[in-house]
Amino acid sequence: MSDSVTFKLDGRDVAVPKGWTVMQAARRENVHIPHFCYHDGLSVAGVCRFCMVKVEGRPKMEIACNLLATEGMVVETTSDDVKQAHKWGLEFHLVNHPLDCPICDQAGECELQNSYMKVGKYKSEMHRPKVLKPKNLDVGSQLILDTERCILCSRCVRFEEEVTKTNGLGIFDRGDRAIIGTYAEEKIEHNYQENLVDICPVGAFTSKEFRFKQRVWFLEEKDSICNGCSTGCHISMHGKSNELRYYRVKPKHSAVNGHWMCDEGRHSYRYLNPEERLSRWWYKDNMNERIAGGKDEGLSILARKLKDTNIDEIALLVSAHQTNEEYEALLAYFVKELGISKVYQWRQDHEDINAFDGILLRGDRNPNTLGLQNALTKFGLKAEVKNEFEKCLLSGAKVVIALCPESPQSFPELKEHLAKLSEMPFVSAWSAHYLPEEIETISHTVPLKGFVEKRGSFTNHEGNIGELSDPFPAVIHGAVDVCEMIESLRELMG
Amino acid sequence: MGDTITKVKILTQYEGMSNSRSLSTYKEHGGYEALAVALKKSPDEIVSIVKDSGLRGRGGAGFPTGLKWSFVPKTEGKKYLLCNNDEGEPGTFKDRYILELSPHMLIEGMIISAFAVGAQKGYVYTRCEFFDEIKWLDDAIKEAYEAGYLGKNILGLGFDFDLDQYQGAGAYICGEETGLISSLEGKKGQPKLKPPFPAVSGYLGCPTVVNNTETLSAVPWIVKNGSDAYRAIGTEKSPGTKLFSISGPLKNPGVFEVPLGYPMMKLVEEDAGGLLEGEELKAIIPGGLSAPVLLPEDVKDLTLDYEAIAASKSMLGSGAITIIPKRQCMVELLKLIMDFYHHESCGQCTPCREGTGWITNILEGFFDKSATVDDIDQIYAICQQMAGRTICALSDAAMPTVGIINKFRDELVSYIERGTERERFSYI
Amino acid sequence: MAVIKVEKPPFDKNILFAAMNTFLQIFRGLWMTNKIMFKQLLKIEKTDTLEWPEQPATYGPRFKGRHFLTRREDGQVRCTACFLCATACPAECIYIEAGEHEDSRIEKYPVRFEIDILRCVFCGFCEEACPLDAIRLGPEFVMTGTAEDKWVYTKEFLADRPELSGGIQTMRGSNDKHPSIYHQASADERKSLVRHGHH
Repeated sequence: MSDSVTFKLDGRDVAVPKGWTVMQAARRENVHIPHFCYHDGLSVAGVCRFCMVKVEGRPKMEIACNLLATEGMVVETTSDDVKQAHKWGLEFHLVNHPLDCPICDQAGECELQNSYMKVGKYKSEMHRPKVLKPKNLDVGSQLILDTERCILCSRCVRFEEEVTKTNGLGIFDRGDRAIIGTYAEEKIEHNYQENLVDICPVGAFTSKEFRFKQRVWFLEEKDSICNGCSTGCHISMHGKSNELRYYRVKPKHSAVNGHWMCDEGRHSYRYLNPEERLSRWWYKDNMNERIAGGKDEGLSILARKLKDTNIDEIALLVSAHQTNEEYEALLAYFVKELGISKVYQWRQDHEDINAFDGILLRGDRNPNTLGLQNALTKFGLKAEVKNEFEKCLLSGAKVVIALCPESPQSFPELKEHLAKLSEMPFVSAWSAHYLPEEIETISHTVPLKGFVEKRGSFTNHEGNIGELSDPFPAVIHGAVDVCEMIESLRELMG
Repeated sequence: MGDTITKVKILTQYEGMSNSRSLSTYKEHGGYEALAVALKKSPDEIVSIVKDSGLRGRGGAGFPTGLKWSFVPKTEGKKYLLCNNDEGEPGTFKDRYILELSPHMLIEGMIISAFAVGAQKGYVYTRCEFFDEIKWLDDAIKEAYEAGYLGKNILGLGFDFDLDQYQGAGAYICGEETGLISSLEGKKGQPKLKPPFPAVSGYLGCPTVVNNTETLSAVPWIVKNGSDAYRAIGTEKSPGTKLFSISGPLKNPGVFEVPLGYPMMKLVEEDAGGLLEGEELKAIIPGGLSAPVLLPEDVKDLTLDYEAIAASKSMLGSGAITIIPKRQCMVELLKLIMDFYHHESCGQCTPCREGTGWITNILEGFFDKSATVDDIDQIYAICQQMAGRTICALSDAAMPTVGIINKFRDELVSYIERGTERERFSYI
Repeated sequence: MAVIKVEKPPFDKNILFAAMNTFLQIFRGLWMTNKIMFKQLLKIEKTDTLEWPEQPATYGPRFKGRHFLTRREDGQVRCTACFLCATACPAECIYIEAGEHEDSRIEKYPVRFEIDILRCVFCGFCEEACPLDAIRLGPEFVMTGTAEDKWVYTKEFLADRPELSGGIQTMRGSNDKHPSIYHQASADERKSLVRHGHH
């Protein structure tokens, strides 16, 4: 027991490891201590002075975030004087806050607003004019800064110092004239800017990407795994299923990615919205004319083509963007049942698979490289990560089933590759992404579901399995995932 | 005079001597003798001498110096001794007087203290407005290096100590020990969260001791004369002498060294020569601007020591006694105090950042005639919620405000009620 | 199983009186109706009924009829696209698309503001939810039309109906822009407002 301390939190005994603060203990025990500057992923600043708690036997109130839990300590978080301290803590924060919630994107997920609803709800005692500060400043490629809404919690400054180590932000001037800002004419340009929007407890930082698009209370959140690179950050996708649109991506705390994710990963939602998606089954009809048709017709054409072709002349071109379950189903059918031997990996032409930016983003920009390797090994195929696209082109296959990468963001050669593929005799491109010109020259297309629309799992670079467990309804009517495709094909082929 | 208290001159022993700042004068009168004594003892012995002497921090808080030193871990490695010479408390001008008289006393004190805590490097953090004093101290440091009191192997006794001077940029908050450390580190001068305390992790993350100029300057005398000699001066709980800087409409304002426990009115009436003709005493701020004001009846029998002033609900602070005459408008004084704190708040902690601004904002209403009597209560309430809620003690700036409201509420109310016929006289 | 014996209540004479009273009241009512009908037929008394639509009808200004968007003095809509009306709307008939205004003191404004009037239930919640008094339900109650008509009202239609301006306030308040020191400052002054870490 020497490694843990037991103390009383609101009358009940709590045992925590030595060195924990009361805030950490309270968060674990789901005891709500209101706070602004404390963040699990950052160092303790202790400047908002909002997380006041009363420790028995000490004359002053203490801040929970910097209060080490010691044996036998008695901590009170709900007594009247603590409540009074919280009320005033909030009042001080609101003295110079512009309260422009109606036009603030943070409204609805604002800690200041939430705290007001939780511990405040009183009439303001401030009757004098407020301090005015610069608003609507362009401080980065993804960021808009409103220094008037800022409560100077310094989370953003600490993030720049500790996580990205770019030190792009500072607090200038002092007293109530203090403002957050960037250094002389510089802008924030790194790939983790939107984390600043996330950690900002108020709406001082807003994202250019999401700015004014939607109010947060209309959005549905569903957990997923980012498909931007092999790190496999845990994310939650925010969208409106009744509008069939996605609006933004936020990181979800996990051992894989901590509290953060990169901006590039956040932009994955763009490629999931209907205008970016392959929405139809394209094929040549009886008159040999390309038409956009229905699922049944498209399926039977593909099945017929597969039946009519020699097994040796069928090839699979597989990108590492699908789930483990899909690879399993695909290979089980084509390799094990039909006996196809031409299976090619489809990867980026120029990739540095071991590159790493030091925070999260990896050079392997495919979410499931390891998953594909595992599946290939399982079905007795060579397991070595390499790009076999050219090999596939030269393989002389009459029918190629191409499982396309999902987003051109992480697969910049997609356009070029599809153009080359379309020169092959018959290519069935199974793709979620829509490329208007190339896709029309390809003989046969299958609209796939996006990664947030299917169930399954990705295996990240470390072998951690990230579950896609809570899918959105597909924004494309009739979109299928690979498992469904294989099932339908199996039925049709008999 | 007829004083029964013997006035020992410790810090002002070089008063009146010509060329008192030079090394030769200092050595002539027993300078650097204490250093030779100290370096032959063990660091622990020095710490216990200072502990026994009962020397308390002269910067304002009055924390026992020996105790502070004993918090420094006894491990090997880099440690720092910083001298807080950033004298910024309004009304205080005692530290510069020490530098004016004998900067070598500070240097000797710092070497001994550094030896006691095991520091290899010291900095004197000086307020940048002390143009002459900076030069004098620089000269003295140069002299000390040349004479072998600083540098490697001091006096051939195997102790190395380097001393340097650093000029602050004139922020009040850098007089707070962790604020001073931040500023010295090259960061924005704002206090650091405690724990960890500077004695464990201070300047550049190393154990650091920060002492006031006056505290460090008293060390050589204590080491030379022993802790009992020091204890013999002053009161039991507040031993020794202290410099008091007294200002206001007085015949003879200035810095006076008196033993602690000295009667305040005696200092005002006799040493400072009493108030100017036609002036009448209205109130006294006993320990710098952040100490609550005292009324004439409070100070009648008040003695100048930490305990007595604390008992009268104020504080000895830095020993800056400010005399407030009858003519002074208390609203003006309040505004002046709050303007100062509003301007000097570093803006780190919310209660202080917003509270000082808010109070100033409300006080503005006193002048544009929009204030009501309720505003006084509101200021009072804000002060109550600011005090003791922040990282450093600047938010205790609320204390003088509370003091003024408590003691001069009637004047504030009548100021609001009088409307147009307001006098805005300010002596200070 | 217990059986509760219920006695038949004795005959109450009052019931007879009550029945008689009922008939009496019916005749009294008929008498009133007929009296007024004949008075009005013989033009002894004025009728309150309007021969609408031949005769025009107006409701008071507080009638909750067709919506309109109030405007600033410079003619722009006051709406800041905060979506609170859309949130409050039980019929989900308000569609807003927000955009960045070129005047950064306004910041946010509705690029599109549409009301599907066929879904609207005229509850007035949007009016109540609005923090800026930017949407109101006006006195217009005539909303007849054919299937080909535009039933989704656009921002332009909602904000600009000159026929409303007589008697109804469609323009409100002064500028209502943020009193930002920053955006009123000149380019040089702005630089001094945003300190760039020189200390």
